[in-house]
Amino acid sequence: MTKSDVVVVGGGSTGTAVARDCALRGLKTLMLERDDIASATVGTCAGMISSGLKYMDEPHIVDMCSQEVVHLNRIARHIVMKNPILTPMLELSDLSSGGSFAEEYSKRAAKREVPPVLFLTPEDSLKIEPKLNPNIIASMYFEEFFIDPFRLCMLQAIDAQRAGALIRTYCEVIDITVKDDSVDEVLFYDRVKGDIERVKTKTVVNAGGPWAPGIAKMAESNVEIRPNKGAHVILDRRVVNVGIIAKAVDGRMIYLFPHENTVLLGTTALDTWEDPDTLVASHDEIEYLLQSMEWVVPSIREARIIRTMAGVRPLVANWKVPEDKVTRGYETIDHEFEDVRGLFSFTGGKLVMCRHMAETVTDLVCEKLGVKHKCTTHEIPLPGMEADVDILAFSADYGISQHAVERLRARRGTEMTRVLELTRENPDWRTTICACEPVLEAEIRYSIREEFPQNLNDLRRRVRLGTGPCQGTFCTYKASAILMEELDLSGEGFKVDILDFLAERWKGKRQSFRREQLVQEEVTQGMYTCVANLDQSEIEYDPKPWEGSI
Amino acid sequence: MGEEEAYEFVTSTLEKERIEPYTREESEVVHSVQQCINCGICLSHCPVVAAVGIYRFSGPRSIAVELSRSPPEFWATGDTIYLCTGCGTCMEVCPKNVNIPEIVNMMRSRILRFRPDLVPKGLHVVRETILEHNLAFVPLEDVEDKTESRDMRLEHYGLPLIETPEEAKSEVLYYPGCQAEERSQEVREAAKIILDRFEVGFTMLEDMCCCGLPSRLMGDKDTAEKLASRLKQRIDELDIKKIVTTCAGCTSNIGDASFAYDWNVPVLHLVEFLTDEVGTDKLAKAFTKPRGKEKVKVTVHDPCHLIRHTSRQLMDKALLLLDLIPDVKVEVSTAADSCCGGGGLVAYHSKDVSKAVVKENLEAIRLLEAQRVVTPCPLCTAQLEDNLFQSGSSIEVDDLTVFIAQRLSNKG
Amino acid sequence: MNLEADIVIVGGGMAGLVAGTIASEGGLSSIVLRKGESATSMSSGAIDVVGYLPDGTIPFESPKEGLVALASLYPFHPYSILGFGEGKPAFAEKVITGVEAAVGWLKDKLKDSVAKIVGGLDSNILSLSILGTTKPTCLIQETMVSDGFANEFDSTLLFLGVKGYPDFFASAAAKSFLEQSEIEQEGPRKVAHSTVRISPFGNTCNISASEIARHLDHDDALGELLPQIKKTVDTLGATHVALPPILGIKNARGNRQRIEEEVGAIVFELLAFPPSIPGLRLQRALEETYRKSGGQLLLGHEALSAYKEKNRYVSVQAGAPRRSIRISTKAVVSATGKFIGGGLRGAEDGLTETVFNLMTVTGNLIQADNIRPYDYTSPFAVDTGGHSIFSCGLTVDPQFRPVMPDGQPDADNLFAAGSTLAGYDYLVEKSGLGVALVSGFYAGKNAADAAKEVD
Repeated sequence: MTKSDVVVVGGGSTGTAVARDCALRGLKTLMLERDDIASATVGTCAGMISSGLKYMDEPHIVDMCSQEVVHLNRIARHIVMKNPILTPMLELSDLSSGGSFAEEYSKRAAKREVPPVLFLTPEDSLKIEPKLNPNIIASMYFEEFFIDPFRLCMLQAIDAQRAGALIRTYCEVIDITVKDDSVDEVLFYDRVKGDIERVKTKTVVNAGGPWAPGIAKMAESNVEIRPNKGAHVILDRRVVNVGIIAKAVDGRMIYLFPHENTVLLGTTALDTWEDPDTLVASHDEIEYLLQSMEWVVPSIREARIIRTMAGVRPLVANWKVPEDKVTRGYETIDHEFEDVRGLFSFTGGKLVMCRHMAETVTDLVCEKLGVKHKCTTHEIPLPGMEADVDILAFSADYGISQHAVERLRARRGTEMTRVLELTRENPDWRTTICACEPVLEAEIRYSIREEFPQNLNDLRRRVRLGTGPCQGTFCTYKASAILMEELDLSGEGFKVDILDFLAERWKGKRQSFRREQLVQEEVTQGMYTCVANLDQSEIEYDPKPWEGSI
Repeated sequence: MGEEEAYEFVTSTLEKERIEPYTREESEVVHSVQQCINCGICLSHCPVVAAVGIYRFSGPRSIAVELSRSPPEFWATGDTIYLCTGCGTCMEVCPKNVNIPEIVNMMRSRILRFRPDLVPKGLHVVRETILEHNLAFVPLEDVEDKTESRDMRLEHYGLPLIETPEEAKSEVLYYPGCQAEERSQEVREAAKIILDRFEVGFTMLEDMCCCGLPSRLMGDKDTAEKLASRLKQRIDELDIKKIVTTCAGCTSNIGDASFAYDWNVPVLHLVEFLTDEVGTDKLAKAFTKPRGKEKVKVTVHDPCHLIRHTSRQLMDKALLLLDLIPDVKVEVSTAADSCCGGGGLVAYHSKDVSKAVVKENLEAIRLLEAQRVVTPCPLCTAQLEDNLFQSGSSIEVDDLTVFIAQRLSNKG
Repeated sequence: MNLEADIVIVGGGMAGLVAGTIASEGGLSSIVLRKGESATSMSSGAIDVVGYLPDGTIPFESPKEGLVALASLYPFHPYSILGFGEGKPAFAEKVITGVEAAVGWLKDKLKDSVAKIVGGLDSNILSLSILGTTKPTCLIQETMVSDGFANEFDSTLLFLGVKGYPDFFASAAAKSFLEQSEIEQEGPRKVAHSTVRISPFGNTCNISASEIARHLDHDDALGELLPQIKKTVDTLGATHVALPPILGIKNARGNRQRIEEEVGAIVFELLAFPPSIPGLRLQRALEETYRKSGGQLLLGHEALSAYKEKNRYVSVQAGAPRRSIRISTKAVVSATGKFIGGGLRGAEDGLTETVFNLMTVTGNLIQADNIRPYDYTSPFAVDTGGHSIFSCGLTVDPQFRPVMPDGQPDADNLFAAGSTLAGYDYLVEKSGLGVALVSGFYAGKNAADAAKEVD
C-alpha cells in the first residue's frame, strides 16, 4: 500500500490548487479526481476572476478577491484576459443601485491596475457598443479579468505534478476509513484500469464541490451545501466586443462576456436537487437569459447559439435567503469537531478564490502534520508564464500560421515551444485537426503524451478541441484516430471515443437547437449517421447520465 | 472623471486591447459569417486554394470558423487574410452564402488600424497614392503626356476621338474609374463613342476620383467612405439619376455604396445599360463589320465583381451583346468564371499568388481556338493581357467596351 | 429585363437538377435557381435508396425489399406516394416500377460522366466508409466499386492514407474494419494500413482533398504516386486497396484504372465526409446533364418570392447580390432542401418553409409551425431511431404538390421534391439522394404536365 501525507479529493479549481500548494510545500501529495481535471463545476463557469461584482456588501471578500486577481496576474498572466465591461442602464433606479457598487469597486481598482468605475453618456455607450438598446439613459464602465478555467486547473495540476504530487484522474474515492478518530486510509476505484487501490494518509482535503457532502459521509462526517445550478448560453463568436451586464427579468444580474473566441451569456441560479451529472440547461433558463439580455442588446437572438452548459455551485448552506444573498465567501471545515481528525472540507467559494482556499487549508494540513513551510503559490509562476513570445518569429520559424501559433500561445504561454518542437521531427503534425480553434495534430499528440487525457472530452479541456461553431463535427473522428494511435486503443475504442464525444457535445447542443446549429446538426448527422452508419454500429457504448434523464 | 474624459479613457483602453466596435453594417457581415457550417464546399472551389493549396492559404472556411471569430486576434491573420482575391466564389457556392469577401475587408481594416506594420508594403503604397491623388494610380503629371497617350491608344484601336461633354447637370453620369481614366484610356473613349452613337445624353466628372474599392479592399474604411461621400456630393450637384460604368469593380463598389447609403441612384454597367435601356433592336442595327477586321473567334472572361458581387445576369447580357455583332463567334472557356487573380489587391504584394490564380484561366483559354479574350472590365483586361503576354501567348485581350466601339457603324 | 421559362425550379441539388432535366426532356424550357451548392455536393457521392426502416436495425438486402416494406408500413413516405392510384392505397409494385424508372434514367444520364454510377435496386451494396464502417447503399460511383472483397476470405485489404491529409486516418479505419469483420466472421482476414506522400504544392502538412484530386487530374501527377502504392501493395501482398476519395475531380475513373493496372490490385475509393470529392463530381455531373438537356442554370440566384394568380404561380422573383429579376413561368418545382439547403428553418418558435410560406409538418404529419426543435430530438446524439426533427418538412399530395392546412394543394402548379419533404428520415433510413432523385424525377414530370396544361 502506498502512503501519502495528504490526499486531495477533487480535481476542480480548488482541488488542483490544494494539490499544488501541498506539493510546493513538500508534502507527499495524492490528488484523486473521479472524472477529469476541471470536468464539473469549474468547467462550466465563465472564467471571470471577479473583483467581487455581485457581493459588494461583503467588503472583506471583495478585498480578498481583489488581492487574488493581483496574484493570478502575477502567476498566470498568459492565460488571463482583461474585458472592458459596460452596464447599460434603462431606468433611474438602475443608476442609484449602481452608485454603491461603483464606490466599492473604485476603492480597490488601483491595486488591480484598472480604472475606477466610469459613467458614460448614452451616445458614448452606443459608440462603444452599437448593439446596445438606444433607449439607455447611461452606462457604467469598468474592467474585469478573466482566466481560462481549464488551463488554470491543468496548469495547477501539472505544476503540482512537477513538484512531486501524484495526480490521478478517473479515480473515484469509494471509502475513507477512520481509525482512532483520525483519517487513516482512502480507497479509490481506478475507472480506467478497473482496480481498487488504497492509500494510507494522515490528512484528506475534501474539495469535491457539489459532491463534498457525499465524500464527507464516507468518513462519517457531515458537510452541508446549498447546491445551486447555473447555466450559460454560448455564442459562436465575439458578437459584442465588450462585456455587458444587465438586470434579468427577476432583477438579478446577468452578463454577456466575450470569452476566448466566443461569447458567454449567463448565468442562471436555481436551487437544485438533481444529480449534478445529469444537469443540462432547460428551455426556461435559455429563454430567461435571452429575454433578459434582449432589453439591453435587442439583437441578441440573432446571434448563433452553439451550445449551453450547466453546472452546480456548492454554495455555503445559508437557507431562507435568495441565492444572491448567500455569502460568496467560502468556509473551511476541520472535521475534528465531530471527532474526525485530519479531514478538511470546503463549502462555497469562487473561481477567483481557489488559490486562497488552498492556502488556508494547506496551512491547516501543515499544522496537523507539523510542517512549517510557507505558502508560495502566489509568487511562483505557473508553467508557461516566463516571458512574452514573438508570434511572428515562431510562425516563420516553424512554418505554422500566425493565428495557430497565437492560439497555441493563449493556451500554453512559453511552454508552447514544447509542442512546436514536436513538429521539427514530424513536419506533417503541423496539420490542422480542429479547424475552428485551430488545434494542430502536434498539440493533440503532445497533450496526450504529457497531460494524461483519457478521451476526446479531456482533450477538449486541454486544447479546446471541438469548442467552435461546428462543435466537434469535423475534428471528432480525426482526433479520435490520433488518440487511438497514441494510446494504442482498439478499433472499437476508436468508435466509442467518437460516440462519447458526440454525446458530450450533444448534451450542450440539444437544449438550444435553433437556426444555424440545427443546420450544423444536419451536417453532423449526415456524417456520422448517414455516411458512417454509426447509428447501426454494435459497439458497446455506455449511456451517459444525462441521456437517461429523459 | 467627467463623462467626456471617461469616454476618452475608455476609447484609449479599447485601442490598447485592439477592439473596434462593429458598425451596424459590419454586424450584418458578422451575422452572415456566423451561418458557416464548416462543410468545406468553398475549399473545393476557392481559386486561391486551388492555386497555392491550403497550407499557404487556409481558405474561406478557415476565415469563417477560425480567423474571424475574435477581433483582438485579427492582427495574427495577416499571413492569410491578404491572400484572398475577394472573388466571391466561396460566397456563391456556399449553402449559406457566407459573405467572406466582406469579412475579409473588415479584418483587414482592423489590422490597418491596430497593426499597420503587418499590412503588406504594397498596400501602403497604394494607400499613399489614393490619399495623395484620390486615384488608385499616380496620374500622369503632364496633361499633354496624358493626351498623347490617349491619342496613341485611339490610333492603335482605330477609334475616333469624341469631345468630352462639359460637366453639366444630366440624368446619366458616365464614370470610367481609375484604370480607364489613367491607364486604359481607350476604354473611356470607347464608352463615350458608344453613348454618343446611341444619343445618350451623359456627363462626366472633371475631377475623376477613385470609387474607393481599393481602399475598401485594403481595409481603409475611412478613405473608402470619404471617396464615396465625395462621389455622392458630385452626384447631387449634377442631379445624376443614373451612373453608368465600364469597370466591373466600380459597378459593384458604387452599387454597394448606393445600396448601403440609400442613394437611390442605380449603378449600371454599360453592358446592361445597352441591352436594357438602348435595347437589342437598336443595337443590332448599329453593329457593322469593323473596317479591315475579319471574322473573329473570341472567348469571354467573367469579371468576379460582375458575376458574383452583382449578378450572373450581367454576363448573360454581355453574351447577348456579342451575339448581335456580325462575324463574332464566341467560344466558351471552362474557366471563364474563374478569378483572374487581379482581385483583392493580391498582386500588389504577392504576385506569385496572383499569377498562380490566373494560370487556370490561361490554360483553359489556350485550349480554345479563340483569337481574342473579351471582358467587360479594364482591370481584368490588364491582368489577363499581362499574364498571357508573359506566358508567350499570342492571344490578345480586349475590353468589351472597346470591342463594341470598334464594331459600331457611324451614326445615321 | 425579365426572363421567361415554362418551369422554374428552386434549388440546384439532386432533386432540382433532375426535375429540370426531366422538364427539358419533356420539351419545355426551364430555369434552375441555385443559390449555393448544398447537400448533394456535401454527400459521399453514393446514392442511397433505402437501407433500413426508420428505427430498424436489420439492413435491407435490396432496395426493392425496402421499398416494399416502406409501402406497407409508411404509406406517406415520399417513395410510397408513387404507389397511390386513383383513391387506392399504395401498391408496392407501382412504387418499385416508379423508382426503377428514375434510377435507370439517372444511370443512363451519368454513364459517360465523371460520376458514372453502378448498382441497382436488386441488391444493396455494403460500402466502406473512411471510419472503417460499412453501410448499405444502392448506387455507387464506379471508382468506389470494391469488387466484393467482403466475401473473399483470402484477400488482403490495404487502407492507404496520405501523409499530411487529415481527413482520413488509415490506421483507425483498418483497426475499426478488422475488428468488425472478425465479429461478423466475414470479409478478409488480413487488413493492413499505410500512408503515401502526395504533395501537390510540396507541402508536408495541411493537404486538402480537392488539391490532391486536382493534382491527380493532371497527366503526370500519378507518376509520383504509383511507385509508392506498388511498393506497399507488393510488400504487404494486398489484393484490395482502399483509398480516401481523392482520385480526381475530372479523371478519377481513368486514374483508378491506371493504378489498378500498374499495381495489380483492386483499387477503390471510400465513402467520405465533406468536403467530398465524389459529392462534387456528382454535383458537376448533374449540372452538366441539366445544361446539356438545354436547361438554364442560374448560379448565385435565390428565390425571393413567388406570385400567384388565382390558383397558379405565374412568376418567381430571383435575387442575386445586387440585382433581382422576375421570371414568368407556368409551373414551379421547389427543391430547396432541408436545413442545409435552407428550404426549412427551425427555431425556438417553430418550423417554417422559407420561400413559399408553405405548411410544415412533422414526420407524423402533424402541423409543425409551432414546434420546438428540442422536442423532436432524441437524448442520444447518434440514435438508430434518428431525430424526428429531420423527418419534418412539407407534406404533398400524390402529384407531389405541397398541401396546406385545408388539405388542398397550395397551388395547382407548385411541386416539391427532395429533402424538403416530410415523412422520412434520410439519415437513419439511408435514403437521401434516392428520395431526391425519385421525387425530383416525378415532380419534374408532373410540373411539365402542369405547364403544358397552360398552353
